[in-house]
Amino acid sequence: MADATMRFFEDLDQRGYDPLLAKISGTLRFDLHEGPQTTHWLVRIDRGRIQVSRQDMEADTVIGASPAMMEGMVTGRENGLAALLRGDMTVSGDARLMVELERIFPGPPHAQGPRWYGKGVR
Amino acid sequence: MAASDTVRILDGNTFVVSESTGDIEATPTEPTGLFSIDTRFLSKWILTVNGERLHALSYDDLQYYEARFFLVPGVATHYIDAKLSIIRERSVGGSFRESITILNHDEKAVDLEIRVDAGADFADLFEVKDEILNKKGEIYTEAAPDRLRLGYRRGNFNRETIISSSVAARFDRDGFAYSIHLEPNEEWHTSIDVQTRALGPGGRDLRMGLQVHGAERLALQQDLAEWIANAPKVNSEHGEICDTYRRCLIDLAALRFSPLSLGGQTLPAAGLPWFMTMFGRDSILTCLQTLPFTPDLSRTTLRILAALQGSRFDDFREEDPGRILHEMRYGETVAFEEQPHSPYYGSVDATPLFVVLLDEYERWSGDVALVKELEQECRRALRWIDEYADLVGTGYVWYQRRNTETGLDNQCWKDSWDSISYADGTLPPFPRATCEVQGYAYDAKVRGARLAREFWDDPAYAEQLEREAAALKERFNRDWWVADGGYYALALDPDGRQCDVLSSNIGHLLWSGIVDEDRAEQVAQHLIGERLFSGWGVRTLAEGEVRYNPIGYHNGTVWPFDTSFCAWGLRRYGFAEEAAIIANGILGAARYFDGRLPEAFGGYPREQTKFPVEYPTACSPQAWSTGAPLLLLRTMLGLEPHEGHLAVEPRLPAGMGRIELLDIPGRWGRMDAFARGRLDLHRLAE
Repeated sequence: MADATMRFFEDLDQRGYDPLLAKISGTLRFDLHEGPQTTHWLVRIDRGRIQVSRQDMEADTVIGASPAMMEGMVTGRENGLAALLRGDMTVSGDARLMVELERIFPGPPHAQGPRWYGKGVR
Repeated sequence: MAASDTVRILDGNTFVVSESTGDIEATPTEPTGLFSIDTRFLSKWILTVNGERLHALSYDDLQYYEARFFLVPGVATHYIDAKLSIIRERSVGGSFRESITILNHDEKAVDLEIRVDAGADFADLFEVKDEILNKKGEIYTEAAPDRLRLGYRRGNFNRETIISSSVAARFDRDGFAYSIHLEPNEEWHTSIDVQTRALGPGGRDLRMGLQVHGAERLALQQDLAEWIANAPKVNSEHGEICDTYRRCLIDLAALRFSPLSLGGQTLPAAGLPWFMTMFGRDSILTCLQTLPFTPDLSRTTLRILAALQGSRFDDFREEDPGRILHEMRYGETVAFEEQPHSPYYGSVDATPLFVVLLDEYERWSGDVALVKELEQECRRALRWIDEYADLVGTGYVWYQRRNTETGLDNQCWKDSWDSISYADGTLPPFPRATCEVQGYAYDAKVRGARLAREFWDDPAYAEQLEREAAALKERFNRDWWVADGGYYALALDPDGRQCDVLSSNIGHLLWSGIVDEDRAEQVAQHLIGERLFSGWGVRTLAEGEVRYNPIGYHNGTVWPFDTSFCAWGLRRYGFAEEAAIIANGILGAARYFDGRLPEAFGGYPREQTKFPVEYPTACSPQAWSTGAPLLLLRTMLGLEPHEGHLAVEPRLPAGMGRIELLDIPGRWGRMDAFARGRLDLHRLAE
């Protein structure tokens, strides 16, 4: 499964620290269901320090989604809250951790950001 | 918008809007119903006795979460059969519960057919004012012996209403019924429970395990009693001030809203019924108004908004790194990304105001820990002002929507399409920059500098912010001053041309401190002058402007919240009497609404109408209108944290008599303020 999800989590593990998560401590487990198969990603955050593994262990927050949905999330094509409301993702436990973790998810691939006006002279 | 004789009860974002009989029969013009998480779970709820509709003798909103209706059979135009009475009591708190009691006053026994017609259209809150013709999913109904299930499914999106009864009922697809026999003077009783469900995969409610909210009725009562007990007490010779104050406290309690995913922390929602959700701007401004009274709201608001601060670019949601959200919604259109409120970030004032609130909160509370906790969010908010908001490159905060389908045109508090104009009435192109936001940005830099110096141990950053603030002030006073009018322009267009109308926004400029000292007097005189001041409050747009209309939403009406910030601004620049004049106007108007100020009322001159004319579709209670009397009390009493203690410098109109404000919470513990009305406003107005 050499996909975007794997790259995202492996990159996260290699980075090892993200200042956007500096105030957060806790564990999140992603359960990616496809047919009878479930893949797990366990993200441990300790005041911004991050460790990722494939363990199936108890966690403060458990997120359930399909691999396709997860791929959409880590590439910025899917929005977490919309997916939750739509029933395409489940979150149980401490949802705040998921809200905080979403900060490091990328935005939509073709987002342009602010549109600068042409004529300005400072 | 619901007509004024509708009855509303709520708990968090679950609320019921009904007719005065308690019935619900939703139409686009009367959008009644049971709502939760921005979805309508009941659009029909009609009680009949022997096939006849009921007539309301009276109803009581006992508390914000419960109501009681006294009914008799027959509609108003018919003979009223008083031999039967029906009492309907309802409450929300987790679920919606209704109890029905029927009393037979006749000497004869009666046989009755009691029926409730029930139905749900599962409309998204954004759809309720339209004909709902083409829902994209499927509505289903299942009648079981012990309950009625109404449901809606679209893909994995599943919402259900489950109705059950304490007394056995006959459930069918359109409702449920009871056949009862009542002896003379006998009474009958049933309790109906209506559960709203937002089902995720596996049939589990997606709110389960996430939400600490959804308290039981007793807990709500206790919670309200504690809320009032914790707030300062007001004593006054004039009962009306006390009544208004108490009304505001209760409404603030009712408006507390707990976001889905943040563990039961509450912030003020914007307003009932259509804005029971978080708005960055409304929540922050309400917190600023209520800080001396309910400081805990500010702490939770800051934390919640910080947790949801923007972190990337998203053009649909207009998200940028550091930007503070505008609005959050949980309905179907948001779930399927037909609307961007998950959350939507299209506002340019919430971000600087976030910094302003954090500083003001610390000045009152001494809560240094929170200032340290939110340092990075605060720095990111300040960075947003310079890096992402200056679309024209002239050193101001501008806006132009990136979501051209469902985004907001005007991303300032006056957000209607025609609120920003030149003096000739034409509308400027985009990007636009409005004056009050430049004031907020200035204030954010000044206050951010204090936080950096005192708490973040970063004097270099403090100096940088102070330099930037000084430069902004200088630039602003050069580019925005309308010399021949003696005020600041409402806005600039991208070529730097002034939208040179006279508006209430200049009051916010005083509050922010961006006004040059030698110009403050002219601004103050405009705020209490005939063109802006109606006698009740400050008009959003001055009489005499081309677009002025006394019932123009942002073009002439008076918004109590807006006036309250004008009063604060006047007081800041030393115009205590002028502040008292407009404070007196708004508090006078509050009397006509039993202490509950609407969102807005007409800009008609006070002498002409004698009473404030409510704006037709105003939302009520609305958080920042509820906060207005509290901020005006603060302003008139001259409450100001000063070097660790509370300074009190009251300037009250003579007619207001004596006012005591006891147990004001803050870094000083609890303190009292006493004041006596000494100002002769009539003399001053001449």
